[in-house]
Amino acid sequence: MIYGIRRILKYALGRDIAGRTLAVRPDDTFIVSYPRSGNTWTRFLVANLLRPQEAATFANIERLVPDAEAQSSRYMRGISSPRTIKSHSYFDPRYPRVIYIVRDPRDVALSYYDFSRKYRHIEDSYPLERYIGDFVTGRLISAGWGTWGENVASWVFARGARPGFLLLRYEDMKARPEQELKRVAEFMGIDASPELLKTTLDRSSADSMREMEKTQAKDWVSTKDKRADIPFIRTASAGAWRSKLRPESVAEIESAWGNVMAQLGYELVTRTVARNAERKVESAETQSAATAVVGESRGEQRGEPRG
Amino acid sequence: MMQRLIRGMQRALGLHHPGRNLEVWPDDVFILSFPKSGNTWTRFLIANLVYPETPVDFSNINRLTPDPEALSKREMARMPRPRIIKSHQYFDPRYKRVIYVVRDPRDVALSQFHFHRKRGLIEDGYPPEKFVARFVAGETSPYGSWGENVASWLATRENRTGFLLLRYEDMLEDAAREIKKVASFLEIPADAERIANAVRRSSADEMRTLEKSQAHLWSSTKSTRRDVPFVRSAQAGGWKTGLPEGAVAQLESAWGHLMTHLGYELLSPARTTIKNFDSGFAETMLNGPSR
Repeated sequence: MIYGIRRILKYALGRDIAGRTLAVRPDDTFIVSYPRSGNTWTRFLVANLLRPQEAATFANIERLVPDAEAQSSRYMRGISSPRTIKSHSYFDPRYPRVIYIVRDPRDVALSYYDFSRKYRHIEDSYPLERYIGDFVTGRLISAGWGTWGENVASWVFARGARPGFLLLRYEDMKARPEQELKRVAEFMGIDASPELLKTTLDRSSADSMREMEKTQAKDWVSTKDKRADIPFIRTASAGAWRSKLRPESVAEIESAWGNVMAQLGYELVTRTVARNAERKVESAETQSAATAVVGESRGEQRGEPRG
Repeated sequence: MMQRLIRGMQRALGLHHPGRNLEVWPDDVFILSFPKSGNTWTRFLIANLVYPETPVDFSNINRLTPDPEALSKREMARMPRPRIIKSHQYFDPRYKRVIYVVRDPRDVALSQFHFHRKRGLIEDGYPPEKFVARFVAGETSPYGSWGENVASWLATRENRTGFLLLRYEDMLEDAAREIKKVASFLEIPADAERIANAVRRSSADEMRTLEKSQAHLWSSTKSTRRDVPFVRSAQAGGWKTGLPEGAVAQLESAWGHLMTHLGYELLSPARTTIKNFDSGFAETMLNGPSR
């Protein structure tokens, strides 16, 4: 009963977490990704692009680019339009404009493992292999975002190629930051000078964000009260799975999502999976028998993660 | 503030329609589709199949296959399990057992056009092209556009366990054959007689007769125009005469590729601009200019 009353009051006062009940405005832009895919980096980039007069920090990022899944309805109402909002939500047709960041799920899984330890969702002794199984089947404690494959495919195939949708690959952002940042600026309607691009990249660099994390982690909703011995800003690199993941774990991920991975240009190393994904993609291509550059061949072409 | 307080009370007491915020149980089965895609027919077929002792009609369909948009949270929670839930929701990862019904969007658009007339949302003389433009933009229902709804489910679940895809047109062609798939999906023993009964009790004629006497009892038809029926033509291909060419062009240009993927033949394949099920699709997006 007490719990019920608390809930009524919370809702009436707008103290409930916005999340999927967020009142979306027509001029909202969303920065969306599965967790551990470069969302925070992108938030910093966008914030620094939008307001060069105020460098983004962990202390002000919730004001500059608020997190709909950490802030209250009331807080979100108080942000003036046009808002740029961070989210990990799977497809939501109400989001009018979306920047979607995708990252190699083999690296995402590794990063998520450390994150889950930082959040005390698992013990340090929890076997990585077992964690990968949880990751693939969606058994994580923070499973509200669907699996990696569900989150990515729901956005890319429902909304992709529509106006108001920008798809970024974390690996491309690492490999050619200026170029990808320019696409973000264009999408946001910002006429960014070379100086602004440079300042933005400097202010949002992994080193700079690591420095800030050291002093500001206690002020940020996503790191406060979490283990301080595991950093939030981790390696900020691509391809660590090659040395850190066991072949069985790689095979598990690839057999679950090989098709989507191949479509996004992530090279599959599990041979049988790669061939299946290739077949699947081909059969999906019903009309034009044009370019069947998929799977391994595309991997060699441009999908190789660069670190 | 006052309004939010009242809504908060309703919520606490479980009197609101849960809709998308429905509490999902692991044994829930969902009958899903975009609106006007044969969902009600499928509900009748499945309810008649699963509960052969209860002839299904418009007065008990919301109890047999509960609708979280029509029932309260409290009612939904009290339904006997396993529940067979009807919904039009776009992708939701919590739904683990899904029967998804898909229908040619050209017929869906036409059907929704008439349904909006029935509900008094548009006038009888409303231009179909204008309606279809809104339909393509996803403005005629709260469940995303047709393409978004269908693609969000297919891209995440097609060919995976726990997902059964039915085409409305296949059901028209041979309802018994399609409902047999449902029976094996639900692991229900289904002899020929049980299947035949379910099909007969759910025929368009039967449903039309029921609608005549029961429209006032059912949440979806209660306060709507009586002169426009809910159970309409129950046919495939009505768009060929019912939709102007310009409207067909809009639909095919938006979703031609997805339609082809589902086996719907296009009038003008060349119009298709968005190839979102094409192998090169993601690549185009990654390299393409920002919009």
